Amino acid sequence: MVEPHPSRRGFLGGVAAGGALLSLAVTFGCGGARERMVKHAESTGELAPNMYITVLPDGRVRLTVNKAEMGQGVGTGYATLVAEELGVPLERIDVAWADSRPEYRTSFFMHQTGGSTSTKEAYVPLRRAAAAAREMLVGAAAATWKVPAAECTVKDGVVAHAASARSLGFGALTKQAAHQPVPARPRLKKRAEYTVIGKAGRRVDARAKVDGSARYGIDVVVPDMVHAYVIHGPQYGAAPKTFDAEAARKRPGVIDVLAFDFGVAVVAHRYWQALAAARDVTVTWKKGTVAGLDTEAMRRAMRDYKKAGEGAGEHGDVDRAMSRAHRKIEAVYEAPYLAHATMEPQNCTVAVRGKRAEVWAPCQSPTLVQAFVADAIGGSRDDVLVHTTLLGGGFGRRFFPDFATQCARIAKRVKKPVKMIWSRESDMTQAFYRPQLAVMMRGALSPAGALTGFGAHVIGQSISFASRDAIGAVMPGIPNAMKHVITESIAAMLSTNTVPDMFATEGLKNTPYKVPNLRIAFTPVNTELPVASWRSVGNSVNAFAAEGFLDELAHAAGADPIAFRRALLPARSREVRVMDAVADLAKWGRPVAPGIGRGFARHTAFESEVAEIADVELVDGRIVVRRVYCAVDCGVVINPDIVRAQIESAVIFGLSAALDQQITLVDGVVQQSNYDTFPLLRMFEAPEIHVTILDSDADPTGVGEPGLPPIAPAVANAVFALTKVRLRRMPLQPAFDEAKRGAS
Amino acid sequence: MKLVVNGKPVEVAVPEDTPLLWVLREELDLPGTKFGCGRALCGACTVHVDGAPKRSCVTPVGDVADKQVVTIEGLAPDPATLHPVQQAWIEENAPQCGYCQAGQIMTAVALLRAKPEPTDADIDAAMSANLCRCGTYPRIRRAVHSAARAIKAGGGDRG
Ligand code: FES
Ligand code: FES
Repeated sequence: MVEPHPSRRGFLGGVAAGGALLSLAVTFGCGGARERMVKHAESTGELAPNMYITVLPDGRVRLTVNKAEMGQGVGTGYATLVAEELGVPLERIDVAWADSRPEYRTSFFMHQTGGSTSTKEAYVPLRRAAAAAREMLVGAAAATWKVPAAECTVKDGVVAHAASARSLGFGALTKQAAHQPVPARPRLKKRAEYTVIGKAGRRVDARAKVDGSARYGIDVVVPDMVHAYVIHGPQYGAAPKTFDAEAARKRPGVIDVLAFDFGVAVVAHRYWQALAAARDVTVTWKKGTVAGLDTEAMRRAMRDYKKAGEGAGEHGDVDRAMSRAHRKIEAVYEAPYLAHATMEPQNCTVAVRGKRAEVWAPCQSPTLVQAFVADAIGGSRDDVLVHTTLLGGGFGRRFFPDFATQCARIAKRVKKPVKMIWSRESDMTQAFYRPQLAVMMRGALSPAGALTGFGAHVIGQSISFASRDAIGAVMPGIPNAMKHVITESIAAMLSTNTVPDMFATEGLKNTPYKVPNLRIAFTPVNTELPVASWRSVGNSVNAFAAEGFLDELAHAAGADPIAFRRALLPARSREVRVMDAVADLAKWGRPVAPGIGRGFARHTAFESEVAEIADVELVDGRIVVRRVYCAVDCGVVINPDIVRAQIESAVIFGLSAALDQQITLVDGVVQQSNYDTFPLLRMFEAPEIHVTILDSDADPTGVGEPGLPPIAPAVANAVFALTKVRLRRMPLQPAFDEAKRGAS
Repeated sequence: MKLVVNGKPVEVAVPEDTPLLWVLREELDLPGTKFGCGRALCGACTVHVDGAPKRSCVTPVGDVADKQVVTIEGLAPDPATLHPVQQAWIEENAPQCGYCQAGQIMTAVALLRAKPEPTDADIDAAMSANLCRCGTYPRIRRAVHSAARAIKAGGGDRG
């Protein structure tokens, strides 16, 4: 059902035509747009009252989604909202992906997918857009039959008038409906009236994803296209010094071999020809951009850092609380650099025509791709048209369009449309990474075991700083030259901590725990290794530190870990309800089977609340997670099965990282290169996962990421329960092995 | 070189050491088979060669001359009917990003032909060959079981 890749519009046609008729929730019914809507309906039979919804003459509905589908089910979620308010079955909605036109920049001035915000952003506006279309269709039917609209009902894409036993399908009403006024405030259903929202419907993209017809970025085909394979250097960011491509050029199908500062591109008629020819290219390399970087040395320097750090949030006086504590506890929690390792390696297709370009990319922000490609070809961003394909995983990686920059530069030189596909090795060794971090924790306990002081100091690279180009690139209405100035000043402020870092302390500075004395601080570390959002961003490390440390404090206070937290949280709060729900689900407090250790953690992220309990066993020294219980409150649930799937996904994704994954560098060379050295959990290691979703009337909040932060601390706490070994460093398995060696 | 792909004889002009994966994707317009690692580590490129699951990224096309190659596009018995494994995948809402799923399904179909009533341990053993970054394993496990039941009830795998 999902519309596959390249556009139905011609080259840059969408930009020139001005595209959709009415921008959602802003310009309903305004003059010129209205005429266009009527004209469009007269000539095509399509009712397009806003830029999202088009009712087709055959009664089907095309829903244009300005988000990227990377597995999180946004296409299904949005279709569900529309099915509910428009009154059509889910199966009659075809999802198409919006291109990069400006009217689709509805998320922080961008067309972007991230931060678990898609459902939250669309919940009211998209239902309103659908309800408006429904009222217009009803109005058209009522006018045709000369009956009051209030006497008409809508079901399954049909408007009916029971009293006169007449009915008309949506498809037959589109032209008349276009003449109806666009209601500015259509009536929305109450939650009790929902018949589609909240039901576990099938994914709209499932069929295409099981029969081989789903098209991702790597599958894009455009006329005249050639293929590029890029040889990247061994050191991160190394530029070629010399290269010899004589033999390669003689290989069949090879068009050119070109050097750039990012590597050497082998361009051929077929990708397999480029792959084969690349073996014949010899390259010598300059020093990489992070030559000398050694992550182990960096780790030691970070954990030995003694200064206090800039405050990101503070009340009371933690230093005083510590000096007066009955017991004080201090610990360093550590996390490594991580790759995203999306199953689909980074790739992109670009056609450059002069100062214009058309791009097909599996990307999380076509707006950013526009900006980066414009820079690469010396054009302006609105002359770049970007089509978002399906994404074979995103997780934050596909926000950063280095792939688009590289492909655009190759395409500009080749003067033909180019599809560039990175090898898995390039994807892993020349990537953007979750930052390596150290979090210094301290806590003060009273004689009664109450937490009187709590401090957390995060040390590591700032994602905001690393994203400065992106921030500069998308600022609205600012000329290019100014952007660089602004980018630099943002960078300067971030590096001195004048502007508080958005991501570094998230999950700590907004902690719901009520502690009389609290201090959250951050010290940025600067390296040229690019860092990025990685599923749940700062939360993924900060929850590990906070929830692991709270477990330490609970044990020191002789308290049950859940009871200890309950004492720090407002009674009957959402946090407490979710904790209690997972405790019920797992029968927390009852004895567990021998050989099993049980750990608890909770975290608030992206406005959702998740608590998890992990049951862990040791098998020949290997940490094996048998079961994970999860409770989640994410507001009104659009599709409970997708919520469950996302929690399962986040748990398994988080477990892979918690147990085994790390990116390390020695002299600026990434040591991991493929799934053998950067392992993902395999099926035999995947735990049973039980999920309970709390009922809620609140508007929807995030689902794609919030399941991740609690899993690492839940497992570390379970290992402690089982073995009395406290793990404060990810990945946990090597840390556990090391602790065992130390003990024996 | 002559091949038989999805039941149809085809001819391709490529060197024998070209990986089958790229021959399928680029020469035969069958992009449902995916590239994930290129080193036989992830299973995204799994196809059937004479009924057995094979990693097409490391299989030289010369090795499959005159053998039966089946890809995800050739699994359904006819355009209107999905293979019971594909159907089970839809019913369990198994795919997320979907990128690994062609490989997962090809591995599962081969498993069920060898073991029509697999235990959890059989499923773990066979399906651990295929990585899924989205963590769809619990659903794949359930889908393999329900596909096994469907195949049994429906009188066998027609593929
Ligand atoms: S691409 Fe063949 S096993 Fe990964
Ligand atoms: S569904 Fe995304 S990798 Fe498996």
